[in-house]
Amino acid sequence: MEHGYWIKSKPVYNALVWHEKATAHLIIAKNQGVLVALKLFQQRQPTQPVTLLYAQDGTDYAKTLNKVVPAGLDVLNSEQDLLVSLKNIMPNMRMGLRVYVAGSEGFIWSVAEVLKTFGVEDADIMKELTDTLARTIYCVHCKAITHNITTNIGKCSGCERMLFVRDHFSRHLGAYMGLMIDAESPGELPEIEEIYP
Amino acid sequence: MSMINVKVAAIEQVTPLVKHFTFVKEDGSSLPAFSGGSHVVVSIDIGGRVHRNPYSLMGSPMENEAYHISVRRQENSRGGSVFMHENVTVGMPLKITYPMNLFSLAKKGRKHILIAGGIGITPFMSQIADLKRMGANYELHYAFRSPEHGAFAAQLKESCGDHLHCYIDSNATRLDLEALLSDQPLGTHVYVCGPSPMVVATLETARNLGWPENHIHSEQFLSPPIGEPFKIQLARSNIEIQVSAEMSMLEAIEAAGVEADFLCRGGVCGRCELDVLETDGALLHNDHFLTDSEKASCKKIMPCVSRAKGERLMLDL
Repeated sequence: MEHGYWIKSKPVYNALVWHEKATAHLIIAKNQGVLVALKLFQQRQPTQPVTLLYAQDGTDYAKTLNKVVPAGLDVLNSEQDLLVSLKNIMPNMRMGLRVYVAGSEGFIWSVAEVLKTFGVEDADIMKELTDTLARTIYCVHCKAITHNITTNIGKCSGCERMLFVRDHFSRHLGAYMGLMIDAESPGELPEIEEIYP
Repeated sequence: MSMINVKVAAIEQVTPLVKHFTFVKEDGSSLPAFSGGSHVVVSIDIGGRVHRNPYSLMGSPMENEAYHISVRRQENSRGGSVFMHENVTVGMPLKITYPMNLFSLAKKGRKHILIAGGIGITPFMSQIADLKRMGANYELHYAFRSPEHGAFAAQLKESCGDHLHCYIDSNATRLDLEALLSDQPLGTHVYVCGPSPMVVATLETARNLGWPENHIHSEQFLSPPIGEPFKIQLARSNIEIQVSAEMSMLEAIEAAGVEADFLCRGGVCGRCELDVLETDGALLHNDHFLTDSEKASCKKIMPCVSRAKGERLMLDL
């Protein structure tokens, strides 16, 4: 890739840090994202109330978390359960809430989609990427969404076209643009490489 | 910059200090559409010197036959508002810029809290027309000195009903910003327009309560302050210009026949920004556009409201 290449729509993820000004904090984490949550508590224990939603995979951090977030911890067994739990607590939240999300890109944008329906905008959410660089892609031909693409070219889950994974990102869809790579010369594919491990 | 030729169709004294001017196109055609919160820059010729002041459009964006602005008489200023009050008469032709919006409503907002102080009510007049058309959830909090200074309060009461909350200094009713902003639903946006202490207090209160920056909106046009005269050098035009005490740098540049970019002329939009090539004195930044570090770097200046001290200020123009 060219030096200096950059696309405005591509999200930039940062390391989570507490907002000093807040009336409450909400942390939403999945898998390795929980280490980021623990890192936040290493920075300091905020004075405001904290709610932590955590969807766990294999490693069980619940015990450790219970010590640092005695009140407000909700450990869920899947992303689906976490999103349901999030929908249940959001109606009680007021302006002054600061939101932090840590996990894979797919998780971050699934959470953002739910938050949007409660008036929390993309720019209001602090996000840290963990676990993987895998991309969700949106097929511009059949409009299907395909998750966990780790290669420069991926097969569409809808129409099975081979799609080139672009850097253009839709915050609305939480996905990168996928464009048929061999439309001009069917079957002629460049080398498929893993670039989003 | 292309301008619209209008004429004054009506003038109404709204309060002891505020006049409402209605403009129509000189050729009788329709005016360009605009969105709530927009303003125009009105050019007036005072004894051969052109003043250009920004004023919010306060009519409904649905109406394109006429534009409405209101002007508060400012005694200790450079004379633009006094001229508007005393010399502008019905039928007089004027030039205005196309409308532009630096104070637009956040379309994704779920609730809108509008806070106005005095003449700061004007941008909200057009925004309310938009909010009502959108069926949006809003509250208008309007503070003024005494009942006779509450411009358009009766009209607003009629159009906004329970959405309007008035605070009148002389009745000792005060807006409690902390209470107002500490219990609002997620997705609320706050907008403030009024005197500087009110704008600062609103921004600080919202920030301290943890409101995200993109939910906080303000507009405060500055008029170019009167200051000490100083000299500027324009590198590309290769001329030296004297900026008099009552003139802004931008006006002095225009008077010298050099074309410079501008939009709001009130230190807000950033369009007139100039690069400083050399300076031997302090830059007196008065704008709301440059960041503190940009101001400290002495590399940029907004000639619409800022000034300088010293003998040498070389600009890239």
